[in-house]
Amino acid sequence: MRPANVQARPVPGQRPAGRIGAAVAVLVALACLPLAHPPAFFESFLYLVFLWVALATSWTILSGYSGYFSFGHGAFFGVGVYTTATLTTAAEMPFLATLPLAGLASMLLGVGIGAVVFRVRRLRGELFALLTLAITFVLATIALNTPIDGGPGVFLSGVSLPRLYATPASTLYLMALLVAALALALAWQLQYSRVGRALFAIADDEDVAEVMGVPTFSYKLRAIGLSAGLAGIAGGIHAVFVTYVTVSETFSITVPLYVVLMSVMGGMRRWYGPALGAIVVTALTYAFVGGEWALAGRALIGLTLILVILFLPQGFAGSMSSLRARWQPRAARPAMPVAHVAPRPSTASDAVSGVGSDGAGAPFLRCEAIHMAFKGVKALDGVSLEVRAGEILGLVGPNGSGKSTLVNVITGLLHPTAGQVLLDGIDLARLPAHRAARAGIARTYQIPRPFARLSVLENVALPAMFGGLQLAPAEALERAREALAFVGLLDRAADLPSMLNLHQRKFLELARALAIRPRVVLLDEVLAGLTPAEIDSAIAMVRSIRDAGTTILFIEHNMRAVLALTDRLIVLNQGRVIAQGRPADVVREPQVIEAYLGTAAC
Amino acid sequence: MPSSTLLAQSVLSGVFSGALYALMGLGISLAWGLLRIINLAHFAFVFLAGYLVYQCISVSGWSPTLVVVLALPLFFLLGVALQWLFARFSVDEFASLLVTFGLTIVIESLIQWIWTADVRRMETPLSTWSVKLGPLYVPVVEAILLLVTLAVVVAAWAWLRHTYVGKALRASAQNPVIAAAFGVSHRRLAFVLSGVAAATGALAGVFVAVGSPISPSQMFGSLGVVLAAVILGGLGNPLGLLAASILIGIAEALTMALTAPSWAPLVSFSLLIFILVLRPDRV
Amino acid sequence: MGTISRKLGLQLTGLVCAVSAALVTAAAVAATSGAPVRVGGTLALTGPLAPTGLIHKIVGEIYVEQANKRDGFLGRPVEWVLLDDQSKADLARSLYEKLVTVDRVDLLLGPYATGGILSAMAVAERHGKLLIHNTLGIPKLAKYERQIPVYSIGAVPEQTLPATLFDALAANGKTPKTVAFVTSKFPSVHFMSVGARETAKKRGINEALWLEFEFGTRDFGPIAARIREANADFLWVGSIGLEGNQLLEALKKLDYAPKNPFFLYPSPGPLAQSPDAANALSMTLFEDHAPFTNTPQATEFARLYRERAGKAGITYLDADMQAAVAYAAWQTLEAAVTATRSLDDAKLAQWLRANRVDTLIGKLRFDGAGNYGDDLQKIKQVQAGRWITVWPREFAPPGARMNLQ
Repeated sequence: MRPANVQARPVPGQRPAGRIGAAVAVLVALACLPLAHPPAFFESFLYLVFLWVALATSWTILSGYSGYFSFGHGAFFGVGVYTTATLTTAAEMPFLATLPLAGLASMLLGVGIGAVVFRVRRLRGELFALLTLAITFVLATIALNTPIDGGPGVFLSGVSLPRLYATPASTLYLMALLVAALALALAWQLQYSRVGRALFAIADDEDVAEVMGVPTFSYKLRAIGLSAGLAGIAGGIHAVFVTYVTVSETFSITVPLYVVLMSVMGGMRRWYGPALGAIVVTALTYAFVGGEWALAGRALIGLTLILVILFLPQGFAGSMSSLRARWQPRAARPAMPVAHVAPRPSTASDAVSGVGSDGAGAPFLRCEAIHMAFKGVKALDGVSLEVRAGEILGLVGPNGSGKSTLVNVITGLLHPTAGQVLLDGIDLARLPAHRAARAGIARTYQIPRPFARLSVLENVALPAMFGGLQLAPAEALERAREALAFVGLLDRAADLPSMLNLHQRKFLELARALAIRPRVVLLDEVLAGLTPAEIDSAIAMVRSIRDAGTTILFIEHNMRAVLALTDRLIVLNQGRVIAQGRPADVVREPQVIEAYLGTAAC
Repeated sequence: MPSSTLLAQSVLSGVFSGALYALMGLGISLAWGLLRIINLAHFAFVFLAGYLVYQCISVSGWSPTLVVVLALPLFFLLGVALQWLFARFSVDEFASLLVTFGLTIVIESLIQWIWTADVRRMETPLSTWSVKLGPLYVPVVEAILLLVTLAVVVAAWAWLRHTYVGKALRASAQNPVIAAAFGVSHRRLAFVLSGVAAATGALAGVFVAVGSPISPSQMFGSLGVVLAAVILGGLGNPLGLLAASILIGIAEALTMALTAPSWAPLVSFSLLIFILVLRPDRV
Repeated sequence: MGTISRKLGLQLTGLVCAVSAALVTAAAVAATSGAPVRVGGTLALTGPLAPTGLIHKIVGEIYVEQANKRDGFLGRPVEWVLLDDQSKADLARSLYEKLVTVDRVDLLLGPYATGGILSAMAVAERHGKLLIHNTLGIPKLAKYERQIPVYSIGAVPEQTLPATLFDALAANGKTPKTVAFVTSKFPSVHFMSVGARETAKKRGINEALWLEFEFGTRDFGPIAARIREANADFLWVGSIGLEGNQLLEALKKLDYAPKNPFFLYPSPGPLAQSPDAANALSMTLFEDHAPFTNTPQATEFARLYRERAGKAGITYLDADMQAAVAYAAWQTLEAAVTATRSLDDAKLAQWLRANRVDTLIGKLRFDGAGNYGDDLQKIKQVQAGRWITVWPREFAPPGARMNLQ
């Protein structure tokens, strides 16, 4: 199912601008609905639909896009409910004035949670879900035992509504509509923006996204802040809708379960998916309210959930796209013909940036006395080295010698216990990884780590947006096509990475590194697992990258390739540099031979 | 200042409620840790078993031993069937949460349809019988619960640690590909584990029914605290689960004994939050 | 002979059946004709409030059936449009909108429990509808002119109920020296407990313990241990539903029987049937015994309820307060309709606020603060597995008395 789905996914930059007008028209029409004096029930029913659309969409902005599954939406919603309830009753503030504050309070809670939790790398997936659920319970207990509620509940009957329409029901309807529209507009805007692409990448592989230049921490904070803020505003409105607010109903598990249910049913990686889910689930809830059918209806909702998850794992939105893709004949698909870009195949020559100014051979990336210890085990023990502009520097060493750790330190993913990584005199060692990418450092992974749910093209466009070049989405796509053309993968641009073979995935890694026009690229065992013929073409490729002016740190086990390619060679053993110099000289040094006995043979 | 008897009695009470959390959580912990399935329907299984036990013993007058002997294999099969569903549709971790939530709603409706929304109470002479040990009272049912939980938890631990099935399961959980290369059939093992998990749920259901009156919507009542214990204890780690459950039970009981009982939930969930944030590699 | 007579017998039987069927139908048509009067309402048929919702549903069905056997409302058949609010207040709100604006019911009846009733009241107010409701536990929240509270607990039950209770204790010569309060933080329960606490203070009774627990507490062991240690002369348990049972069991496990425990809103069946609850006290408005059942209507109601509740699978078959207030709400509605010969909400409300209505739970009036009338609450006690009203004495069945320690 997935491959077909990707082709249909709108790519960044292709914003269906004509639809904005249609969306605005629908919004205006819905906003004018009360003028037609429909039965109040429709307004009240649609109010609940829009409330859930807003909540489910706000959930998706955080959880669907970035993959951080929140079960804490009850908390964000509840903080909004109680902010409005407290301010309108105890402080006698006008209702409308409390709504921004309700949103703000929730947003602060969300950002506060994020500021603590997003620093802990392991707190993803189900752990994040449970953590946020626990926060909901804690907040409920606090509200119950303090004057915020204290037990008796808060009654908002005296709160006067703004007279947007003749009746309060119409007014509340309009407000829910506006929040839902705001949530949808934000979700839509995000999906096609740089931030949205970054969040999708975070969902697939957060570390890789960071290394490619995505400031993951601040983007996640934005997502949770936005998500929580929207839920808070929705909560503030709902406080007046229910008029009598109690802790057990507000902070119940119903809210998180329903928003997750709606988002997953509808499809949570599309801006409109949760809205579809919200409409279907709310309508289902109403379909079976008749006294005789109450139980059967409840069972049916459960059954529907089971069937949808089993048979439409990507939700309505995802399945609709798949269907649409299936109806389009496959032959008509190559939207990006190779010939289109072929005339200028070797644009990597533009990538020269260090050579001209610094002059070939001048050191521009220096590691100084880097120490790295994991729970007392020294992985790097005072490593110093320099990379000179325009060279291919080889880095070899037996397994466990610290090569991968060094790569992670240089790209900023790991912060060394001591030492500096200097690029143009700026120490990157304590900065987040995306700063290294922005400074022009790129890397590939030994075992390719593409973003599994982004197309090949989107995989390459992401670093172009966030690495050194900081391109706008449309330009990034152009740049990505160039990089793909350079490695010969342009005809696979629309495919998912899982459809590529290992050789192609390694080249995809290369294309992602080259997309930022890096000043230095760290190639981590690009040759491992390739056939001899593939190795030859890879070696040629590496050479042409260097010839185009990019400096290369070449980490490799394959000594034939190392000797053939590198200008200088550094040998690492047990976290120390034991030799460096011209490759042919280095491999003859006794301690290198000693360290390498057994592995040098291969 | 509360007396030492009160404190000791509260700790004891915390240990017993912790034991029930552990027995309810064991199936969830095993399935989550070793099969990557988050089975919310486990709570529905617990209540379904509770209702069946109520029906057989209180209404039909069967012998309790017979009921337990019949219920365990029945729920084992239920667990196998559930795992078959997951395998058939290759359901991932997150989807399993939603599917089993749907299943929980279906089972809840089923229970209400058969036994009505009205409260059911299983009367046994054991329910309120206590033994006096020094100044402390030890409720017999809860003492049995503690012993059964200890036995089941230790058995589960030994099973995973020392038998082929257990080792193979742990190997599969760590790296399914390598385990498969060594000839481990994850599929069959998963059936066994899911069955065992559901059977422990049935056992927990017996104690839920004996311990308190039951109504269908209560099945979500201990969801939060049991999940907290499962996470704190480490997924797929029976001994850790038992320790975490009892720790939570005692923490709640002491909060109730020393301060206002309404603050009790704060303790267990704050504990969970702190451990998740400060020691995330623990779980 | 065999065949013919059997055939004749069959034909005769058939004829009798047909005739009687025709007669019954004719009677029904004679009694009620024309478009039905539609009475709309929601109940918690699923979700946590469903156990009580079920009782209200059974009673409503009984009433509608009885009404249609008489001559319906104003000679028109009565139709009950019942929806399930799933124990959710926000759903109740839009379902009442549906009842008023889509189903266009003639009359409204309230849902079960405070949250839902307040939601329904907001809708009724917006459409100027009369709302008769029967279980609003916090009278001060009722602020709409056309809402009629059948649940006759007076405008300030948090003062009047504790007063009744302590009067009952005093009249039996058992005014406690110390009292222990344990209360759920459930909204409609908590404020009553706070009121009871103040009443005790005013009467100079020492407070041995004041404990608040969260609604949904699972482990009552430590709370029980603290109650045992306080060992007061009187125990006020502000509980709702099963909390009372859970607490009693936890106490029993400590081999402690509290002196004179009072439970605010227990699930009637489980508590009455619990072996540990002998002599437990609670509040009531109606129980299935004389003098409440002295009228033929009440006797018939109790009998029918017993029959239907048994069929529906309920374990406690005595018609108790919940069943009676559900019935009284219907009685109030019918009384107003009959007296005004109208379905007009304004007229009905006006009449109800000016007149008294005879119901199962007494003669009700709706002219006080928030349309509340008298506090009709009585004290009941578990005796031999049943709830028996014991105070005021004139509502106790012959020979029954209050057992206190």
